[in-house]
Amino acid sequence: MRREAAGDPGSRERAAGRTVGATALAALVVLVVLPLLPGTSNATLLTLTLMLTSIGVAINWNLTGGFTGYVDFGHAVWFGIGAYAAAILISLQSNGPQVGWHPVPAIVVGALVAGVLAAAIGRVTMRLKGPYFSIAMLGTFVAVREIVRVWSPLTGGGVGLTLPPYLNRELFYYLELALVVVLAAFTWWLRHTRFGAALVAIREDEVGAETRGIDTTRFKTAVFSFAGLSTGLFGALWAYQNTFVDPDIAFVEVRTIDAVMGTMLGGLGTVAGPILGATVLYWLRELLWANLLDYHLLTQGVLLIVIVLFVPRGLVGLFDRRGASLLELWGWKGRSRGLRQSSAAGGEVEAAS
Amino acid sequence: MSYFAQALINGVALGGMYTILVLGFSVIWGVMGVINLAHGEFVMVGAYLAWMASDFWDVDPFVSAPVVFCVMVLFGYLVQRLLVNRIINRSSLVSLLVMFGVSIILQSVMKVSFSADFRLANTDLDGAWRLADRLTIPVTRFWVLVVAVGVTVALSLFLGRSRLGKSIRAAAQNREAARIVGVDIDKVYAVTFALCIGLTGVAGALISPLLAVQPFQGPPLTLKAFAITAMAGLGSVRGALGGAMVLGLVEAMLALYVDRIGTNLAVVASFVLLVAALVLRPQGIFKGLRHVDATST
Repeated sequence: MRREAAGDPGSRERAAGRTVGATALAALVVLVVLPLLPGTSNATLLTLTLMLTSIGVAINWNLTGGFTGYVDFGHAVWFGIGAYAAAILISLQSNGPQVGWHPVPAIVVGALVAGVLAAAIGRVTMRLKGPYFSIAMLGTFVAVREIVRVWSPLTGGGVGLTLPPYLNRELFYYLELALVVVLAAFTWWLRHTRFGAALVAIREDEVGAETRGIDTTRFKTAVFSFAGLSTGLFGALWAYQNTFVDPDIAFVEVRTIDAVMGTMLGGLGTVAGPILGATVLYWLRELLWANLLDYHLLTQGVLLIVIVLFVPRGLVGLFDRRGASLLELWGWKGRSRGLRQSSAAGGEVEAAS
Repeated sequence: MSYFAQALINGVALGGMYTILVLGFSVIWGVMGVINLAHGEFVMVGAYLAWMASDFWDVDPFVSAPVVFCVMVLFGYLVQRLLVNRIINRSSLVSLLVMFGVSIILQSVMKVSFSADFRLANTDLDGAWRLADRLTIPVTRFWVLVVAVGVTVALSLFLGRSRLGKSIRAAAQNREAARIVGVDIDKVYAVTFALCIGLTGVAGALISPLLAVQPFQGPPLTLKAFAITAMAGLGSVRGALGGAMVLGLVEAMLALYVDRIGTNLAVVASFVLLVAALVLRPQGIFKGLRHVDATST
């Protein structure tokens, strides 16, 4: 994929880019300043941190699901693995005295464990395509949770692990904010590299990409491992803040569902999509949670169906269709006709038949 | 030795249960190309119906199964008309996500209506037959196996012999050609989906005395159905029986030879089996109605 702007000259695109950039900057400034205001409670900070986690995971999911077209139905597994690896290292004990690691190396190693496992598992499962890959990842998720539950000497089994509390909400908030900004910038940059183009080529026509000399296995495994590592990092950070992990709260389907839904809502395979979608979804859910506790899951299911059937290009697509092209630069569609059409079909994953 | 024989019996019994669990999923996938990610939830709904019959009116699940079948056929028809019709020609991502949405909705409706408590239906066909010292046949599972084999034969005959069954197979093999020779594709799809959801509901009714009935029992069942179908061939009725037996025996043998392996880890077994089978033999093991084609390059 060459980086040519289709048809219209760069001036409008630059203007749109400036608008988007200004909006993003304004949002960022608000997020940076907010904790410094006197009225901000720890609870608000925690809510915002969880929102950032949700955005981060959605960005990572979009790397494989949106760009490469490998729809991962078990992405939350890396979150859980990162959380558990860090928790195990921090709460390590040997006959009495705690010999647990310092949190910083523990969190880094936790993310690395998730990344290495993602590389190993992705190596095998990414040989499968379409729905086969999706279900294999769903299987990985369920299987890993059960293994964690059974492997009690290491993982504490169903009882879980308790971590020494360290509750500096502001630190975690700024850390995750920085992470999300870096990830968003990384995704944007990735879109403009050969590597990013290769990923999209894999999504559009994997055999064709292979024929053109792209080492598809290496590319897709690389991006899958990176996504695993990054989600593992969010998991490790979450575990440390939560001060407690057990199989049923570290490995939650909802985290995958949120990543998929957030990305679909915002716009699959776009840079701004997962950020926008995950944010909207997060607040929508807070609203539902507060008002319709019993029915929030039901509403979410209905919403998923409605998005998939009626808004396949997501919120970014809505902006774009109006011709305002507000998000053109972030949305990276419209660079070529072929891409535009395929993203209209919801990031076509080749059917099994 | 008797441990081994017992594991063999358990494995075959488990295989019978899996057979009836997988048939509906397999045929829907084979004929319509839709992966019913809400399969486990349809099983769960069937199980709840049987449990209600057992708990409120004291009706045995083996007796209420035909009624459950009829109710679920209607339910399946509605879901097909409302949703599945819209996603048949879309990419597999769309159908996966929509059916995923259906599964979330069903889980949540059942949780709101019946809470998340574990329930079991009562059946008179329980207990165990003693064959020898430390060798027993679990009665409920035996009858489930009998029904499963019966349903397999009936379904096989229906697809193989009857006119409607032949049009279903024709639609699976080549949709356009089937349309040209006068097969009413819409009707075929509606019948297939309704029938398969009916069967799936029966599966739920039959396992309601065996597995705890609760709103979130579905996903592992869907996963197993997927594993068996992908191994056995999409829409292959005999393949479903074979694949289910393989998985049942593997799980029973694992339980015998590996320490501390609970039913939970059986999911791990089926998953490893699935990925291994797909990676080693991406075209499937048995010949089904539709080709399995799982490799990406």
